[in-house]
Amino acid sequence: MAKSVSEINEKIKNGSVVVMTAEEFTRLSQEKSPEELAKEVDVVTTATFGPMCSSGAVINFGHWKPGIRMEEIEINGVDCYEGLAAVDSYIGATAESRFDCTYGGANVIQDLIDGKDVHLHARGKGTDCYPTKEIDTWINKNTVNEFYLFNPRNAYQNYAAATNSGDSIMYTYMGCLLPHEGNVTYSTSGELSPLLNDPEMRTIGIGTRIFLGGTVGYVVWNGTQFNTMTEKNDHGIPLGGAATIAVVGNAKEMSTEYLRAAYFHKYGVSFFIGLGVPIPVLDADMAKRLAISNKEIETAVCDYSKSGHPSIARTNYEALRSGFITLDGVKVRTAPMASLYKARVIAKELQSWIKEGKFLLTEPVASFPKQSFVKPLVAKEEGGAK
Amino acid sequence: MKRRYTLRFSPQLVNKPFVSKLVKSYDLEINILNGDVASGRGGMLVVEFEGTAEHLKEAADWLENGGVTVSPMSKDILFDKEKCVECGACTAVCSSGALTLDKDARLVYDSNECVLCTLCVRACPLQLFSIA
Repeated sequence: MAKSVSEINEKIKNGSVVVMTAEEFTRLSQEKSPEELAKEVDVVTTATFGPMCSSGAVINFGHWKPGIRMEEIEINGVDCYEGLAAVDSYIGATAESRFDCTYGGANVIQDLIDGKDVHLHARGKGTDCYPTKEIDTWINKNTVNEFYLFNPRNAYQNYAAATNSGDSIMYTYMGCLLPHEGNVTYSTSGELSPLLNDPEMRTIGIGTRIFLGGTVGYVVWNGTQFNTMTEKNDHGIPLGGAATIAVVGNAKEMSTEYLRAAYFHKYGVSFFIGLGVPIPVLDADMAKRLAISNKEIETAVCDYSKSGHPSIARTNYEALRSGFITLDGVKVRTAPMASLYKARVIAKELQSWIKEGKFLLTEPVASFPKQSFVKPLVAKEEGGAK
Repeated sequence: MKRRYTLRFSPQLVNKPFVSKLVKSYDLEINILNGDVASGRGGMLVVEFEGTAEHLKEAADWLENGGVTVSPMSKDILFDKEKCVECGACTAVCSSGALTLDKDARLVYDSNECVLCTLCVRACPLQLFSIA
């Protein structure tokens, strides 16, 4: 019998809710049918903790006296976006300091979350209403008005594993790829990963309440590069990048236990984001989806030494997690880029929030696009459209 | 007992068969951990010798007398475990097996297995490895 989100929320409020992590649920599914699971379990928690470059934060600095219309903004040497009114800004995770390429927007956000003072420098041209032309000061998360994460693309549903058939080491956002297919790196939490547990996005949409960086956050839109056209396997799992989510949450309440700035050698700054999504077990169909196992979650292995990173093999997360896969008949070391340990901590944390009645589930306000694909950027000599 | 050394050779010594002599005369088991040796420009070998204390000393003396600079391996990889997020990116490059993920997906660093290839220094996105 189908359950509704509001029925599940009643159970959360009266303390009778049954919540388990996606890994626990998958194990239980070996003993029980989807119908039994749907009856016995109300919520499954999913999580991921991986480098997600398309992340950043909105900050409102507060007004200077006399006012400044900030037109060049730097925090700790990292450029922030200046085109948002007088004292609003957006700091992108991958923006790099002009003095130290290993320090970037993600580090600034991490420092602010940690309560540190950061140096703000801004210039304006000086207007009748905003006469100040330059300021130098120190801010922290308590001095600013709003400081919230707004991450345009997080929690990729799946991601192709990476290898390198070339003759020299490659330093990429998928880590150090050793020459001659010397290793394979991968970056999802497999059966614990949020969007792999609801591949059709039945329960996740605009407005979904989630765990973000140690506090409550929300899904606000589909993520950029949202792709429904990726080839799927027999279990309905896309074999590479597919759905994504855009998320927000109050960074002032976050903890760097669940967010961490990263620097990938010769690539640049990125941001480890800890994110968890609760999925209601509405019916047997959802239970079947949530029972997905690492063996059933397949992904492509792409060769980063070739233009366009072509797929050269297909593997699954059970094999990737074993530490080795076979490529062209040769045993190759595998390694993750996302922390399974941290993802498990987040799934457990979210489970306890729900059990303790501190976190209620939401129904999406609107669903994500049913048909969406990723367009390339094409060179044009001149613009034709007027 | 096991001991690790860095051996440095002048170009004149590169063609001499040191390893076989060490095995035959001093009954050592030799594990070459890292190396950069080329004819004409000398070279460096990072080795692990296993044998009796007496043989290890005699072998080191014999190498020194033969013009090889023998330095007990004093360099070490320092790892700031407290800040680790257990992502596992370093395990991608650690061929010696010093860096592995355990069954709970936590990173384990076994310095005894480290061959000082130093690839982890660049592989860690949190820059938690350094050379001491």
